[in-house]
Amino acid sequence: MIRICDVEKYYGNGTQVTKAVDRVSFTVESGEFIGVMGASGSGKTTLLNMLSTIDTVTAGHIYYDEEDITELSEDKLSEFRKNNLGFVFQDYNLLDTLTVEENIVLAMTLHKKGKGKIKKECDDLLKLLGISEVRDKFPYEISGGQKQRCACARALANHPRLLLADEPTGALDSKAAQTLLETFTDMNRRLGATIFMVTHDAFSASYCSRILFLKDGKIFHELIAGENGRRAFLNEILDVLSLTGGEFQNDV
Amino acid sequence: MMYKLALRNVRRSARDYMVYFLTMAVVTALMFSFNTLLFSRDLLNMFETAGIMEVMIGLATFFILLITAWLINYMVRFILEKRSREFGIYLLIGFKKKEIARLYIRENLILGAGAFAAGLVFGVLLQQILMSVLYAMVQMDYHLHLEFNKNSLLMTFVCYLFCYLVALFRCKRRFKKMNIHDLMDSQKKNEEIKESHERGKRVLLPVSLVFFGIFGLFLFCYKNWNTGVLTLFLVGLVLVIYLFYTGVSAWIICYLREKKDGMYRGNTLFLLRQFSAKIRTMSFTMGSLTALFTLALLGSAVAFMFNHFQSEILKDKYPFDVQINSNDPEDDFRKEMELLEKEADVEEFFRYCIYENGTNQVNTWLYTHLRIFGREYLKEDNTPDFEKIKENGAYCDLDTYMCLSDYNYLRKMLGLYEISLREDEYAIHMKERVVLETGDFSGEIVIKGRGQELSFAGYYTEGFSQDGHNGGDYVIVVPDAVIKEMRSYYAELAADLKGEAPFGLNDKLDDLESEGNNYNAQGQVMTEEASEEEYWEEEELGNSCCGSDTIVVYAMKNLVRDNAIPEIKYMLSAIVFPLFYVGLVFLCVALTVLSVQQLSDSAKYKFRYQVLSQIGYSRGEISGIILKQLLWYYGCPLLAALAISGVIAVYTGGKFNFYAGIKTPGFMYFLISALFFMGIYALYFILTYIGFKRNVEK
Repeated sequence: MIRICDVEKYYGNGTQVTKAVDRVSFTVESGEFIGVMGASGSGKTTLLNMLSTIDTVTAGHIYYDEEDITELSEDKLSEFRKNNLGFVFQDYNLLDTLTVEENIVLAMTLHKKGKGKIKKECDDLLKLLGISEVRDKFPYEISGGQKQRCACARALANHPRLLLADEPTGALDSKAAQTLLETFTDMNRRLGATIFMVTHDAFSASYCSRILFLKDGKIFHELIAGENGRRAFLNEILDVLSLTGGEFQNDV
Repeated sequence: MMYKLALRNVRRSARDYMVYFLTMAVVTALMFSFNTLLFSRDLLNMFETAGIMEVMIGLATFFILLITAWLINYMVRFILEKRSREFGIYLLIGFKKKEIARLYIRENLILGAGAFAAGLVFGVLLQQILMSVLYAMVQMDYHLHLEFNKNSLLMTFVCYLFCYLVALFRCKRRFKKMNIHDLMDSQKKNEEIKESHERGKRVLLPVSLVFFGIFGLFLFCYKNWNTGVLTLFLVGLVLVIYLFYTGVSAWIICYLREKKDGMYRGNTLFLLRQFSAKIRTMSFTMGSLTALFTLALLGSAVAFMFNHFQSEILKDKYPFDVQINSNDPEDDFRKEMELLEKEADVEEFFRYCIYENGTNQVNTWLYTHLRIFGREYLKEDNTPDFEKIKENGAYCDLDTYMCLSDYNYLRKMLGLYEISLREDEYAIHMKERVVLETGDFSGEIVIKGRGQELSFAGYYTEGFSQDGHNGGDYVIVVPDAVIKEMRSYYAELAADLKGEAPFGLNDKLDDLESEGNNYNAQGQVMTEEASEEEYWEEEELGNSCCGSDTIVVYAMKNLVRDNAIPEIKYMLSAIVFPLFYVGLVFLCVALTVLSVQQLSDSAKYKFRYQVLSQIGYSRGEISGIILKQLLWYYGCPLLAALAISGVIAVYTGGKFNFYAGIKTPGFMYFLISALFFMGIYALYFILTYIGFKRNVEK
């Protein structure tokens, strides 16, 4: 379980201070697929960065079970990232000099696994994400969807406690986006992966089991997916967005 | 506005491409200080051989101009590519291509002027260091004084401007071809690795290694080198240097494709991919850099050879303060002694004769056995070719002898112990280089005296002025009683001076001789024709020689050591200095390209290291990866250049030692040169590593 307690993040100095995240608290249960929505500048990426230890908090605490990651040294943080977190970004962040398979293998070599184990796990992931046929291709040779699935495979390579996704569908066409989100749901259900996704797209958010709405650095609403299916959940999300002044309307 | 913009861009470029800026400043400084050697009035007045230095520095300048123009051209193109997005924006907001080209050229000229000015300041300092080194080398005192020679400054400026204009001329054409989309897009492009026929290309690595091996083997074992074979090997070598990198890259790719165990260990996968991608896209540049490093290493190795020669050999070559030769065995050296007494503080004179007994068996043996002469003096049936031997001037026509008492007197003058010989013994005083090659050959010659065969008592190899004075290469020492049966061959005068000989004494002795030559025995003035006749008469006597030395032959009738050594050292400096000059510039240029490439990559591909950080690499681990990556990138051309130049330099060093008679192992010059080389290499490496890390962590 991940607990976020009164987390604040300020930018700037002296006279001009911007509150990116303002006393935010919530919990993420193990095996949950949680989404954060908000307009540009609402603080959602900042929140993700703090959760992922890429950025530090100005105040507050983030607990992974009982471990407060805001207290960890830089070396321990990288060790923590290595063992607990997986990342998927809008612009894929694949290493362009490595093939699809090698991008996944690289993450595994960090854990000093043996060759046999790496090969087997890598094959399984490639199959699971449907990218076996492009395993020897370089990132520039494959489509955006395939790149993002490769990034997912890399993120899952070391069985992380939390998979962090920042606008993962942002650069994908609708078909590829749908495939990716189905993959996320699949990973969540079959592998029990905990996923924390930041998005401003209602359609993407509708795949989550719970959504936090962020505005000006604060959580102003929370939605939980009910039993009525994804379409009903999507309508609920759109209702919330329309209440906020239609800022997201254009994106939907 | 444009000017302001240009200035701001220059400041940014100087910061971003600091290594380039510094290298251009260093090149200016080197040019300025070496050009001073061309125009220094002190040097021109002091040395007769100043012309050699002029020619050699001029030649070096030619190569340096080529390589500097290449560097500027490379950097202008490189920066242009890196800033293409910025130029795209200029075009987008309405600048004309011509205006942007002008802006960019102006920026480059300002940057160049800045580096030139900085280089001049450093150059003045370097000039003092260079002059001090040169003066120290020729054993003279140098008093620090600024010599801001107009010609030297002008020449540096013209050379520098020439390099820039050549490079910038091409730049205008490049601007013409640009369009906004390409400019804006080119920066976004990441590395596109196109792998095709890698298995085939992999063969290039063993092929190049085998070629290097064969080249090395041929160099040491093959005897019949001619222009054809040499050209074939040189062309092959250049080709193989370039193909080597394609081979290395293909080999790494195949290794990864075959999923060998190594790639699953540590950071090998990332490092191998980074490395192969880089050398793949840069194989031509890497090949050029290897060629430059090889030339730089060879240049400095040869420079060290000559430097070692002048510090080790010269003092043995000219052991006497003054040594004067006369073809006339009756010469009493009266005029010479008068002049020496007038001009210098003479401790003692010693006049003696070299003798002959009508035989030339030692000469013949040496002509037919020394490796330096090869088979030149042998007929088809392996018998000596006396016709040819007579034409050569390495040795006199007849064997050269000296009596024991004279020999011991000369040894005493040199501070050596005296030797003793029984009445039926003889000894040989010979150059150490020759003895080392021939070994004991006394069994193959017969020296007779007083009707009996003399037995051999030993070799002596101390420095003994054997370039035509005390024989050529050797002199046979026999008891005084034996010498009485022989004829005087030529006369010698050795003098010991208190303190140093005055400057120009050698010239005065030479003048004396030419004055003397214009008078005949009766004191009548001779015509030029008559004087020439006398020269040919001397030649007919066959009693002048110069020995078999080849590296430095300074066979003079009049030899004043304190005048001759600086002159020879200056002459050798004319080889050493330009070689260092070329070596240094080549090295700096190549290292700048390596460094700038990596630093620009560190900014462009910063995200790679961010990804590593996201997937759990600690800062220390990333620093380790950067260090290894740079080590590989810097190490590969270094190792290739060390291997190629090493083989050539060790071979050349061995040959040099053989001809010069130096006992230092042949690889020593290469070792010193490599250490010197790697010192500068390390400096650039550290600068690049710090810059790289700063860019990634920014």
